Amino acid sequence: MLYTVIEQVVNGIVSGSVYAIVAVGMTMIFGVLRAINFAHGEYYMLGTFGAWFAIDYFDLPYPVAIVIGVVATALIAVVVGNFVMQRIVGAPAEAGVLATLGVALILQNTVILVFGGSYKFFSGGYIEPVTLFGFTLAEQRILIIIVGLIVFVGLELMVTYSRIGKAMRAVSQNIECCAVVGIDVRHIALWTFILGAGLAGLSGVLTAPVNVSVYGGMGELITFKTLPIIIMGGLGNVRGTFVAAMILGIAESLVATYVGLQFRDTVGFATLMLVLMWRPHGLFSAQARF
Amino acid sequence: MTPAESPVAKTGADLRIPFGLALAGLACMAPLFLGNYPLHAIIIALIFLLPAHGLNLLLGYTGLLSLAQAAFFGIGAYASALLAVHFGTPFYLNFLAAGLVAGAIALPLGIPALRLRSTSFVMCTLGFVIIGQAIAKNWIGLTRGDMGLAAIPKPYFALGPASFTVSGTVGFYYLVLAIAALATLAVYLIVRSPAGRNMIAIRENETLAESVGIPTWHYKLIVFMISAVFAGLGGSLYAHYLTVVSPLTFQMYYSTTMLIIVLGGGAGTISGVIFGSLLFVGLTEALRVAPELRMIAYGFFLLGLVFWFPNGFAPLIGRFWSFLERRK
Repeated sequence: MLYTVIEQVVNGIVSGSVYAIVAVGMTMIFGVLRAINFAHGEYYMLGTFGAWFAIDYFDLPYPVAIVIGVVATALIAVVVGNFVMQRIVGAPAEAGVLATLGVALILQNTVILVFGGSYKFFSGGYIEPVTLFGFTLAEQRILIIIVGLIVFVGLELMVTYSRIGKAMRAVSQNIECCAVVGIDVRHIALWTFILGAGLAGLSGVLTAPVNVSVYGGMGELITFKTLPIIIMGGLGNVRGTFVAAMILGIAESLVATYVGLQFRDTVGFATLMLVLMWRPHGLFSAQARF
Repeated sequence: MTPAESPVAKTGADLRIPFGLALAGLACMAPLFLGNYPLHAIIIALIFLLPAHGLNLLLGYTGLLSLAQAAFFGIGAYASALLAVHFGTPFYLNFLAAGLVAGAIALPLGIPALRLRSTSFVMCTLGFVIIGQAIAKNWIGLTRGDMGLAAIPKPYFALGPASFTVSGTVGFYYLVLAIAALATLAVYLIVRSPAGRNMIAIRENETLAESVGIPTWHYKLIVFMISAVFAGLGGSLYAHYLTVVSPLTFQMYYSTTMLIIVLGGGAGTISGVIFGSLLFVGLTEALRVAPELRMIAYGFFLLGLVFWFPNGFAPLIGRFWSFLERRK
């Protein structure tokens, strides 16, 4: 009994790490651009497809596929960032919603058009089980948790100490003042967007061996899972987003075991609504941006 | 009133009225010169006009961006379908019940949701759609889950001993056209009433509106409910037209479509929304060749809308009128 609970909590931490890596990019993009990125899950999908393509067509090893997946996602993000995201800096909220919905439709359906809509088998990754403290866990899941921690610590260090990280925080606080003191807002917005999309791609590549199947519509589900996370975590708040992602991951795997698998995908929004009734600004104040 | 006396003559109103009448006449005669497929596209467009009118009241006039329209659309569709399948009630009862049920459910959902600010409100309304779909999928005893409800009867009317069934595309076209016209009239009356002006005041500056004594909270809640009623009525028509409902009626895609209709047509204008629904839904229904290409085109269209026509296409129509005016 207790064993099952702990096992499910560990599984929850794995999916929480996946959500965290995606959501953290989305929340930073919100902080800088003030726009909810409805296309964010599509970058997760693009990362997965990039790696799948590298493995399936060129027989490349998984670590190379990770790099290819992330680089491909980042390159697409450069294009989208230049033509779309930079232009919604300072635009009204509806413009951001419509533009990112448009990007989501284009990316998702282009991939389906090119690669077909069927499910594909992802054959890379480290799926050997290992036993740690009496629990059996696939190596890939351990890798996901480790990468999640690295991303978290890395981002914390970056936004606290690096020049571009400080600029990101500044833009998320006051765009006009940044322009006054000579911070190139569009440049920062572009780089934040590329970083966020790249992280989503990384998350996609890391999860692919666990999910096994790859298909064009997979991004939408991730978008719908990350949206409640970033609201609960307090928009623009990196630490809050990590905690919210872990809470959601653990809650999902417990609900899937003890209530029913079919309710798993509803947990996010149900929790979000309960949280919002109690704390309208999310679990963590958006004051503590980044 | 001759044009010279009319105070609005300068803005081209004298042209608009005959043009509108001609359009209405054309709409009434459409089955004479349109085949079944274009007619089907127009029917879908007119069905989506109802939830779009509701969203326009909410977004265009009161300034609240909501993605919940698909949830109420689905609730209306299921309410109507369940009544028709289980009790065999006539269409007008199902239709009205669908609107009432959607509006009644909007009350307990709206009270917590409307306390939230912009982004959180958008997400909360999106949550209604996701949870609505989960309920439709998992409450199998009522909704039959993923199998959905099939064999929903075509609309039939029973008044005393007389009864008739609307079957066929042409009959349904006239039914939908009449309902859409009534809905448009209702929206027009709401918008032109003092309440409509109060809604616009809330959109422009909520704090200021409250300070001059407009009960903003009640207004927002009631408009949210009215928009749900419109969505529920549209859902009822959709269920009776397609004769099946499934959990896919609760789809983010529908909320997006309604948003595109309103923002693309021109939020805060009635003619813009009518134009938007005919353009976006009618056209995409008519272009159902390759679904992926259609969605990609839709995506580029959205981007174009955001960057080149941020106020939708309604200002273009306005410019067209003033162009005609200048040429006279």
